[in-house]
Amino acid sequence: MIEVKAVEKSFGRKKILKGLSFTANKGEITCIIGINGVGKTTILNAIMSLTPINKGQILIDGQPVTKHTFEKITFIPDAITMLPQMTIAEAMEFMKDFYTCWNQERATELLGFFRLNLSDRISSLSKGNTAKVNLLLGLALDVDYVLMDEPFSGIDMFSREEIANVFTSHLIENRGVIITTHEVGDIEHLIDKVVLLEDGKVIKEFSAEEKRETEGKSVIDVMREVYQR
Amino acid sequence: MKNYLKLVNFEFNRIAKLFAVLLGITLVVQLTGVMVISKGYLNMANEKIYEEMMTKAQFLEDFGRMSFIQIVKSVWFMGPIALCIAGVAFYIFLIWYRDWVGKNTFIYRLLMLPTARLNVFYAKMTSILLMTFGLVAFQLILLPIENAVMKGMVPDEFRVDMGVIQIVNSVPELALIIPNSIVELILYYGAGLMVVAILFTAILMERSFRWKGIFAGLLFSALAIVVLIAPLLLQAFVLNSFFYPIELLGIEIVIGLIVLAASIWMSGFLLRKKITV
Amino acid sequence: MNVNFNNRDPVYLQIVRYFKEKIAIGELEPGEEIPSRRELANRMKVNPNTAQRAYKEMEEQGLIYTEKNHPSRITTDKKILGQVREELLVEAVDLFVTSVRSINVPVEELLELVRIKYTTHDDKEA
Repeated sequence: MIEVKAVEKSFGRKKILKGLSFTANKGEITCIIGINGVGKTTILNAIMSLTPINKGQILIDGQPVTKHTFEKITFIPDAITMLPQMTIAEAMEFMKDFYTCWNQERATELLGFFRLNLSDRISSLSKGNTAKVNLLLGLALDVDYVLMDEPFSGIDMFSREEIANVFTSHLIENRGVIITTHEVGDIEHLIDKVVLLEDGKVIKEFSAEEKRETEGKSVIDVMREVYQR
Repeated sequence: MKNYLKLVNFEFNRIAKLFAVLLGITLVVQLTGVMVISKGYLNMANEKIYEEMMTKAQFLEDFGRMSFIQIVKSVWFMGPIALCIAGVAFYIFLIWYRDWVGKNTFIYRLLMLPTARLNVFYAKMTSILLMTFGLVAFQLILLPIENAVMKGMVPDEFRVDMGVIQIVNSVPELALIIPNSIVELILYYGAGLMVVAILFTAILMERSFRWKGIFAGLLFSALAIVVLIAPLLLQAFVLNSFFYPIELLGIEIVIGLIVLAASIWMSGFLLRKKITV
Repeated sequence: MNVNFNNRDPVYLQIVRYFKEKIAIGELEPGEEIPSRRELANRMKVNPNTAQRAYKEMEEQGLIYTEKNHPSRITTDKKILGQVREELLVEAVDLFVTSVRSINVPVEELLELVRIKYTTHDDKEA
């Protein structure tokens, strides 16, 4: 379980996170929703210890982040984390070199799944394909948790479908996934848990299916209620 | 350790291009310099002797023999060295900042590697060191070749022959880069290493705290300098040369090591707790 | 297996309903093997946990059964299969009745109209 407890974070004088708390379970897809600039990316960065927090605590399976945590959790930011001059093969080699949890078999499978060419240079890829490589490098790690920052934004429709397919496949099976998005649209049926953010805090945390069952409301309905008060 | 070596290999490959360009420029410019200066000297000798009918002896008395020192002291020779130094200095900053800039934020990957983040620091530092040693070694290889080229161009009676060691020792600027004893080498490059560590720490402060970090970085650097020169100042102004030079050197070495350790500790702390992507 | 899910009903119930429809029209036959949970999630583009929940629900309702280490199958229980058809029919008629009641038509006229529409529709399809 990933626990984010009363996290506060400021950039200069601007407070971005104001005592934010939520949890994300293994085996579930948790979706953090909020308008742009609400600090979604900051949360993911903070979980990965890529930016310091001013107050609060972040635990992964009850432990604070150490170097060993990175064999257990991976983060796929919205920009590719490899050098543009590298080929896909080189980027994969880099990952294989450093991570003991790198799963070459799964990497090969993903390569086929996304129809990518090993010899393509990252700088030459389309936006959609860059996102796929980014996803490949993260998902080929045998980790328990995967964080994805806006995996669907700014990508063409077909790439989006292919990426959405990942969420319903065995590639995600039994993992804890956190994704951030500002529009829930085509992934309503893919997510287990929804965390709605506003003004640096969680204003609602609920199970999407439960909401539909008990109140007959879609995620978008709830968003409307919450954000258009 | 294994991860550190992999990172060094990776970082060094990233600077390989710049490194090769610097080597290439040094080779071409210095060799051209050797030829231009030798040719210039010969032309002058020809003019004086064959056109102005000066005797050889008279010429040598007036203008002296040609020695490699003339070449070393020229822009042709020192220029590329200065360029390489500038290149390394520039790279000390670039090696960090390029991981943050642009759409491809490689720093994410570096900080998320399942290895101590200080290894990234060590790897970058090692790359700078390797690059420096590489350039110096190349200069050492180049010197006898250049010397031979000069010998080939200028006839015996017009030149003073010098060995590489002699050449290096007669030009203080060169002796600084190519020390002639192991102790000096360790001292000079140890000092260089310390400077790099201080600069890295300042860079990481800026990367952690941005604007405020620049001030922190400057303050840290200033503090390091003060600590380093304090014994020298005390020795000169307060203690009236109380220490023997060798003792003073010992004190400086110890202080240097402390500053280096403090820089590394601070960088490790920043990388673990304060760095922001 | 392209299903257009609506966003307001629980997805797992929509999956169950989809299976019931297929059973009722005979597209899924008694004893027929059905895809694994994982496969279903992938084909229907739903969360695997939801697919899991739908299967659990169908097992509880007796629509499918699973023998150890075998894929799940559609039940062969005639009674349950009959119920499914009945249930869907009643549900559809209920819906129709509710909407048509507001127009206030005499039942004979309505039935006649239904008969004509239903059979001509059949003709068209044939």
